[in-house]
Amino acid sequence: MDYSDLIKDYLDDASSHLNAFDSALLSLEKDGYKKDIIIATLGSLHTLKGNSGMMGFESLKTYIHQVEEILKNLDDNRIELGAAIGSLFDSANVLRNAVQWIGNNPTFTPDLTENIMALQKKLEGSDDASEKQQVDLASYLGAKTDTIKVDFKRLDSLLNLVGELVIFKTRLNQIETQIKGTINNKSLTKDLNEGLELMGKTIAELQEGIMKVRMLPVSYVFNKFPRMVRDLAKSQDKEIQLIFEGETTELDKTVIDELEEPLLHIIRNAVDHGIEPGEERIKKGKNYKGRVTLTACQESNYVVIRIQDDGRGIDFDAIRKAGIDKGLIKSEDSFDKDNVSALLFSAGFTTKQEATDVSGRGIGLDVVSKNISKLNGHVIVDSVHEKGTVFTIKLPLNLAIIPALMAETGGEIYAIPMSAVDESIKVREEDIHIINNHEVIRFRERVLPVIRLNEFFGLDKKKPKRFYLVIVGKSEKRIAIAVDRLRGQQEVVIKPLDEAFGKSYGIAGATILGDGRIVLIVDIMSFYEKREVSAGV
Amino acid sequence: MSKIFLPPSGLAEDFIGEIGEEPSEIHLVTFALGEQYGVPISQIQEIIRVGNITMVPNSPSYMEGVINLRGRVLPVLNLRKRLRLSAKDTGKMSRIIVTEVNRKTIGLLVDSVSHVIKVPSDFVEAAPEEVLEIDTDYITGVCKVKDSLVILIDLEKLLKREKIDIKEAINDLQQGGNDGKEN
Repeated sequence: MDYSDLIKDYLDDASSHLNAFDSALLSLEKDGYKKDIIIATLGSLHTLKGNSGMMGFESLKTYIHQVEEILKNLDDNRIELGAAIGSLFDSANVLRNAVQWIGNNPTFTPDLTENIMALQKKLEGSDDASEKQQVDLASYLGAKTDTIKVDFKRLDSLLNLVGELVIFKTRLNQIETQIKGTINNKSLTKDLNEGLELMGKTIAELQEGIMKVRMLPVSYVFNKFPRMVRDLAKSQDKEIQLIFEGETTELDKTVIDELEEPLLHIIRNAVDHGIEPGEERIKKGKNYKGRVTLTACQESNYVVIRIQDDGRGIDFDAIRKAGIDKGLIKSEDSFDKDNVSALLFSAGFTTKQEATDVSGRGIGLDVVSKNISKLNGHVIVDSVHEKGTVFTIKLPLNLAIIPALMAETGGEIYAIPMSAVDESIKVREEDIHIINNHEVIRFRERVLPVIRLNEFFGLDKKKPKRFYLVIVGKSEKRIAIAVDRLRGQQEVVIKPLDEAFGKSYGIAGATILGDGRIVLIVDIMSFYEKREVSAGV
Repeated sequence: MSKIFLPPSGLAEDFIGEIGEEPSEIHLVTFALGEQYGVPISQIQEIIRVGNITMVPNSPSYMEGVINLRGRVLPVLNLRKRLRLSAKDTGKMSRIIVTEVNRKTIGLLVDSVSHVIKVPSDFVEAAPEEVLEIDTDYITGVCKVKDSLVILIDLEKLLKREKIDIKEAINDLQQGGNDGKEN
C-alpha cells in the first residue's frame, strides 16, 4: 500500500467519524446529556486521533485530544453541556476544515495551534476568546467516498448466482455438442459456438470479479498473532521475533476465517515447543532471539502459507519410536521421514506422555490437517532436527468454485478436487500388486497404495480390465485412486451436504452438473485416515 | 370435515392462500406408509415426484440421498426406514414431500401422497401406544377421518432425533452394516 492509498483510507475513515461526531452533537443538543452517546463519540474521536497521529498530523491529533478532554469533562459533570456544545460544534468544523485541507493537498499538515489554545481556555473555564470558525459549505458534505461497506452475505449470494451461471454454461456447452452432431448448418453452429464462447468469457470475468471483491489480504489473520506470540513468549521467558512476508497476498474471506485456527495451533506449537529458551539457543550457537516467520504467496490458483521457526526441529527418531510404541507403525518398517511426519497429523497420535523428548508436537495437528482438508487444501511438514521446522499449507484461492476431475466408478460419477490431483494413468489389472494384504502400484520408483473408489464407497465391485489411477497428494502422502473411467475436468460449485448425512466419510460436498445431475465431491483427506486406521490395526 | 384435492401445481402454498387458516382447525397433508400419516401443511413447501436421487456413501441408512431441487442440493430422508417400518421399493406413486422445519429443508420419501384434509384441532387425540407400529415419540397424536385413522407425525422431534442417531449410524457403519443402501 503506498502513501496515496493510505491517505484515501484515512480521509474516508475521517469523514465517517466526523459525520458520527456531528450527529452525536446534534442529538446532544436536542435531547441533552446522554452517557452512551458521549462514550460512542469518544470512541469515534479516539480512532480519528489515532489515525491522524499515524499519518503524522500531530497538530490534528493534539486538537482531537483537547476535544476528547472536553467530552470527558462533560461526562464527569465538570463542564455543563450547554456551555460546551457551542465550542464542540465549532471544533467539529475545525476538524472538517482540516480534513478537507488534507484532502485538497495531501502534503499539507494542518497547524491548529490557535484552535488548541482556544479549546484549552475553554477547558480552564476562561472562555470567550474563541473565534467562531466558519466552515466552507461544501465541506458539510464531506469528501465523496470510493469505498462501500457490504454485508458479506450479499457477496455470498452473488457468488451463488455466479455458481449457477457456471452450471448453466456447462449445460449449454453440452447441448451445443449435441446440436453439432444433429444439425447440418455450419454457419449456425459456428454462430452458436461463438456466442457461447463470448458468454463463457464474460461469465469467467464476472466470476473473477466477484472473487476479487471477496478477497482480503492475509494480514487480517497474520495480525492476530503478534500479541499472542509476545504474551506466550513472555510467559516462558523466551524472546521471539514474529516476521511477516507477503502479508498482502489476498485470499477469499471464508478461507481467511477458516485459517485462523490451524495457524493458531501451528504458531503456538512453534512458540511453546519449537523455539528454545534464549540460553539454550546461545549454547547451540543460535541467535538469542527466536524467529517465527509467516510467509504467504500465490502460486497459480493456490495460496501457499508457510510457518517457519528456527527452533529445535522435530526429532523424527523420537516420533518414530512413539509411533512404534503405539503400534501405528511397525518397527521393521524402514525409516521414512515422510511416513513418520504423516504420523504427526494422525488423530490417534498425541505425544503427551513424551512431551519432554518429542517436544509435545502433534497436539492439535490432527485438527490442523482436518481443517485444511475441509478447505480442499493440504498441509505438509518438513523439519531438520535442531535447525527448525516448516509447515506448508496449500489452499485453493476460493472455496466455492474449484476445478475438479470427474471420475466414473461403479456407475456413479464423483468429482475429485484438482488441487489434490497429481496426475492420472491408465493401468491394467495385472499392474496392481499385493503387499501385506494391501493393493499397491509401482509408480516412478515408488510404491503407492491403491484405493478402489467403488469399494471405498460400497458400490458395485465390477473390475474392468483396464482402468485409471488418479494419483493424489504430495510426495509423502501419495495415493492412487482406482476409477473405471475419467470424464474430463470441469469447474464445480461446491455445495455443502446437510448435517443429516452425518460424517459421510469420504465426501466433502456435492455439486450440480450442467445436466442437473448431482455429483458428490470426494474428500481426499479421508483416504489417508482410512489408511492410517488400517495400518494401525 | 371437507376434502380438498391437490392443485395441479402440487405446491402447498397454492392452497394455503385459498383456504385461509382458522386457528381451531388444522390442515394436514396425508400420505401412505402402509398406514395413513399426516403432517401439518404449514410445514410443507411442496410435493414432488421422485427423480434421480444421488446416494451418499457412508451416511445413515435412512438417508436416501440428495436431489437437485431447482439448483439446491436437498437431502432426502426415507421415512419408512426412519420410522423403522418394513422396506418398500419406490414406485410410480412415490413422492418426496419437501418440508421446512426450524429453517431446515428436507425431503421425505413416502409411498404416495393422499390428500389434504381439514380437521378441527380437538379431533386430534393422544396416540394409543398399543395400536401403533412406530415409536410414539415421533407422534403428535392421531385423528379419525371417516373410518380411518391418520397418524400425525411430529417433524420437529423426528428431525431433531436424527442428529443423535447419526452416532448410532456411524457405529453401525463401523461394524460393517450399510443396510438398504443398494436400491
